[in-house]
Formats: sequence, structure tokens, C-alpha cells
Amino acid sequence: MKVESRTVLGAFTFLTVLAIVYWVLVALHGSSTERSGITMLVFSFSAYALLGTYLLAQYLRRHGIPRPEDRFDATQEDGAGVIDYFPATSIWPVGMGLGMVFGACALVWGLWYLAIGAVLFFGAVFGWVTESDYTEDVLPGSDPDELAASHGDFASSSAHGDH
Amino acid sequence: MTILEERPQFAFEAHEASLMEIVPGPRPHGIVKFVTSTDHKQIGLNYLFTGLAGFLVAGLMALVMRTQLIVPNNHFVTENVYNEMFTIHGTLMLFVFAGPFAFAGFGNYLVPLMIGAPDMAFPRFNNLSYWLYLGGFSLLLAGFLTNNGAAQFGWFGYAPLTEAIHSPGPGADLWIVGIGLTGFSGIFTAVNIITTVFTLRAPGMVMFRMPIFVWNILVTMFLILLAFPVLTAAMALLWIDRHLGGNFYNANKGGQPILWQNLFWFFGHPEVYIIALPYFGVATEILATMSRKPVFGYKGMIAATLSIGALAMGVWAHHMYTTGAVLLPFFAAMSLLIAVPTGIKFFNWIGTMWRGTIVLNTAMLFCLGFLAMFLFGGITGVILAQPVLDFQLHNTYFVVAHFHYVLIGAVMAGFGGLYYWLPKMTGRKLSEKWGKLGFALLFIGFNLTFFPQHDLGLRGMPRRIETYNAGMGWNFLNELSSIGAYITAIGVLVNAWNIFTSWRHGEIAGDNPWDGQTLEWACSSPPPDHNFEALPPIRSERPVWDANHPDMLTKVGH
Repeated sequence: MKVESRTVLGAFTFLTVLAIVYWVLVALHGSSTERSGITMLVFSFSAYALLGTYLLAQYLRRHGIPRPEDRFDATQEDGAGVIDYFPATSIWPVGMGLGMVFGACALVWGLWYLAIGAVLFFGAVFGWVTESDYTEDVLPGSDPDELAASHGDFASSSAHGDH
Repeated sequence: MTILEERPQFAFEAHEASLMEIVPGPRPHGIVKFVTSTDHKQIGLNYLFTGLAGFLVAGLMALVMRTQLIVPNNHFVTENVYNEMFTIHGTLMLFVFAGPFAFAGFGNYLVPLMIGAPDMAFPRFNNLSYWLYLGGFSLLLAGFLTNNGAAQFGWFGYAPLTEAIHSPGPGADLWIVGIGLTGFSGIFTAVNIITTVFTLRAPGMVMFRMPIFVWNILVTMFLILLAFPVLTAAMALLWIDRHLGGNFYNANKGGQPILWQNLFWFFGHPEVYIIALPYFGVATEILATMSRKPVFGYKGMIAATLSIGALAMGVWAHHMYTTGAVLLPFFAAMSLLIAVPTGIKFFNWIGTMWRGTIVLNTAMLFCLGFLAMFLFGGITGVILAQPVLDFQLHNTYFVVAHFHYVLIGAVMAGFGGLYYWLPKMTGRKLSEKWGKLGFALLFIGFNLTFFPQHDLGLRGMPRRIETYNAGMGWNFLNELSSIGAYITAIGVLVNAWNIFTSWRHGEIAGDNPWDGQTLEWACSSPPPDHNFEALPPIRSERPVWDANHPDMLTKVGH
């Protein structure tokens, strides 16, 4: 996390200096109505500050113990174990996307599109947030007999993940 | 269907055990796979081919424009149709093809493979980004089906042309929401890839061992995060102006048309680097592999990418010199400064090839084409960055020629990337014979189209005019340019035919057809679900090379 946070905080520092230089130069020589540029630069370095401090906090929280991906000498065994959930398929993103596209159509052709869009969008949000619950039931390991029957010994290696 | 992904544990040689076998249940195929898959490889391919579809549609519009301009006083299409053509051509090329093709297409497919991750950090979110992108693409095209036609104000939509009184009807609104949706798609992709790069790298894959391509995509993603929200805000203000009687850009009621230009170019100039940086990465990977050498000046390359990313935020108003409302010395200095890191990149690319064992296949040829054309576009960019010259050349064909050289240079690298990575994606090589023919046609066609336009600009031909008089001295150059456009179109068709036939009938590629250096060549072609059965030890920026050539290990400088 050290390189990550330094990269982002470096960008923050550069943009802060840039914003100050730009502000001074506009104040001295520029058009008096030009306020958009400095506003956008301030928001840009603030965005970097937000992410940079978060990454720095993550780095400090580990008290100097690097993650396997931050160590030059790490081997694959150092990163052994479960990484994360990775859903293989899901129908909900397309529903949510369609909902947003209909919402966009509402901005062009009238508000009634928003009704369709909202139904699709919130329906998909509900399906999405509850999806992990019911896929938990069909995870490897939930029905050991069936798995053992269809997949032999392979199943046991990933069957007892710690989720 | 969900699995708990485990780190690959096998030795590097072991290829027989596929992760497919430990994922229970049926795998979807065909249209169901296309709609529901959250696999980064499927989504990457979706992006690549939707982007290519956008390229073909927008290219057809370019042909209409060049046909209209081939002779003076031509009436091939009406003024309105011509205006729609150049507006939607530019919009599609930038928001649907050039950007997403690289940062979302190649980015999605390759970033997890190159850092040894099983998938993107948020796979379902990734799928959602694709649907927003496709939705935006469809809405941009839907403008042609409305009564008043599509938007007609140019791809940067300057106020007051975009106000309701000048551009009535849904065409302009569809342009606003279409760009808005592709913008959201870009922001979501950016969040996804940044998280993936920061948290899902394989053990030993420290930041300074990531391939240059991944670094470039990472910096691109930060630029997207800063630039696209500004664009969305500008679009929202424009919509309020058009529908709710706001006057943000209406000078009659105290608004500022110049505000639109500031907001738009604060997005628009970083957008140029959002497009270019991923192609720089593509070119770096191809040059290194095809020269059989590590990247020359690896950390220098990263430093150059980071400085381009930083400076890109401070150059937006060099598109607005002639408005008289911007700080000329500041923006001229910043714009000239950005040529320095780009020059470092060129130096390092040449250094990478220097005394290498160069393989001149189609991918490498496209890369060399990229170097030549992008350099030319960059040099005319330095000319345009100087206010004294820009006041003469602004809004002439010289500018058109400049940015087409820049963008087509970048796209050349993109085609090279297709020839380089499609064997990994499909398991089959593309035909070298057709590929070299396609490259020759594209290279000659592009140069013949856009080189005469420099001279047209110097002779004073303005952008966006739909016809011209015979006595202006522009006839011959326009004719050349249009002939070049037709040659380009044939070249595009040759390459499309090559991809189409090689997909099923090409020569079997094998896992590592080019003796590649980075991690994507460590898995099978095409890669299995969740990517890796085994990872080589990562001890330098080219782990696969080190595993295959133990006698020629990469020197490590840290």
C-alpha cells in the first residue's frame, strides 16, 4: 500500500501546487469572470486527498507488515487461501442497466419512462443485494454428497471456505 | 453461481487440472453468457467488439463526409445531414470507440491477467458498466430515427448552438444522455480497475513489477475519475438549460457560454490522454515482446506516464486560446511541457528496440505505424500549443489533421493489440498475409487522407463546412483526401475479414505464441474461468520470460 498511497498523494501535491499557481496568475492577469477552472482544480486535488489519505491509513494500519503483493520475495504460498467471492453469472446488472437507460430516456421523452426505469432499477437492486444470500446455499460444500458424486475429489479442496 | 476463489497452488508446469472442474453446475453459453456473464474476459470481449462496431458505423459517416467533399459545390447530402454526420462521427469515435475499446476492452481483459488476479474486484458492477456503455451507444444512434435528426452542433457541442432555441427536438437530448451514460460506464470501470490493481495482485507482483500497460491503464483510470464527473455535470447543466429554463450558458440572461467551454475541455483534454495512454501501454508491451528485450527504462516509462497524467489536468484551455478569456502564458507553458514526458516515452520505445532481435510481424508493423503517426501528430500539437500559431490555425483543417494523426496513431497501436492478443483471447492466430495487406492499406490510406489536410488548413479551409467553391485552390487536396478515405475503408474491411475468418479457421496459437514476457502468457489460450491454474514465481516485471529463459533472467534493479 505504500507505493499506492505515495502515487496518489504525489498527484494530490502536484495538483495543489498547480491550483495555487493558477489561482495567483488568474488573480493577477486573468479574466475576472474565470472561476470555473480554480473550482475544478480544487475539487480535483480534494478527490486525490480523499483517496490518498484512505490508502495511507490502510498502510499505517498494517504497522509495517506488507501484504504478499507488496513483498519482493513473496511466493505463491504466502498468498494461499481464499481471495474473495467471485460470482460467475448474474442477471441483475443488465436489469439495473436497463433501468438506468430508461431513466435516461425519461430525460428526453417524458417522465413516464421513469416509471419503467424505477421498477427495473429497484427490482434489480433488490435482486442484486439478496443474490449472495441464496447463492450461499448452492456453494460448493452445501451438499457434499451431490458434489462428491459429480465432481470427485476436486470439490473438497474448495468446499470448506471460511465464508 | 458463486465460487470461493483460491490462490493457484500448483507448480508452474502443471496444466492438467483446470479450475473449470471445481466449479459445479452448468456454464451458460451464447446469448445467456453474453447477457449474464460477470467474467472479465467475456466483458472485455463485449467491449472490444461493441467498440469495433462503433468504429465501423462512425467510419461509414466519415466516408459520407469525404464523399460530400470530394468535388466542390457537391450535393451528395444536405447541410443538415452533413452536420449530423460530423457530430455523431466525432462522438462515436471518442466515447464509443477510441476510449472504451482500449481502457475498457483491453483493460478489462488484460489487467486481471497481467497482475495474476482471478477476476475484477467487482464482477457484477463490471457487467453493469457494459450495459450502460451499450445503452449510451444505442441512444446516440437513436438520434437518427427522430423527426429532427441527430445532434448537429459538433462533438464538443458549444453553447449557444446547443440551447433549445437553436437545436430543438430530442436529437440533442439523446446526445446529452447518451454521453452521460457512457460517462457513467467509464467511471464505474475506473473504480473497478483501480480497486483490482490495488488489492488483487498476485503475491510478489509489487507495483513496480506490473507491466507498463497496467500502469498506463491505472493512470488513465485516475484521469477518468477526475474528468468524467465534470462532463456529466456540464451535461446536466445543459439539460436544465434546455428543459427547465435554466440560463447557465445563456448570455442574454447573465449566463456564460464560456463556462461550457471550460467545463467541457476540463473533461476534453484529459480525455485525449484517457484515449492515448492505454495505447501507449499496448505499444510498449508489443515492442518489448517483439524486440525480445525488457522495456528500456522501466521506471522512466512509469514516471513519464505519471507526469503525463498529472500535467493533463492543467492544459484544458489550450482549446480556447481564441476566446480571449483564458490565461495564454499558463496554458501554453503547460501544453509545451507535456511534450517532454511524451518525448521520454519515444526515447524509451526506441531504446527498447535498440539492438533487439526484432520480429517484423503484423502486430509489430502496426506498432511502428503508431510510432510514426503519433509522433507526427505530437509535433503538430506542439505547433498548435503556441498561441501565436494557434490564432492562425484554429478551426482550420490543420487542427483536423493534427488530432486525426494523434488518434489514428493511437488506434494503429490498438489494431496491433488485436493482432497481438486475439490469439490469447480466441486461441487462434490471425492471418499474417491478410494482416500485412490490411496494415499497408490502412497506413497508406490514413496518411493519404490526413496529410493533405495540413495543407488545406494552411490554405484556410475551415472545419465543418459542407461544401466549398471551386476557385479556392482546395480541389486537388480534397480529392486526394477522399481517395485516401476509400483506401482506408478497404483496409478496415480487410482487417475485419481477417478477424472474422481467423476466429474459427486460424492457425492454432498455443499458450505463448510470441514468447511473451508478462503474466497473461502463463495461462492457456483462451484462459480458463478465473484465469490461472498455476503462476510462475514473480521476481521481475517479466515473470513468464524468466520462467521460460532461466539463462537470460531479467536484471532486477531494486
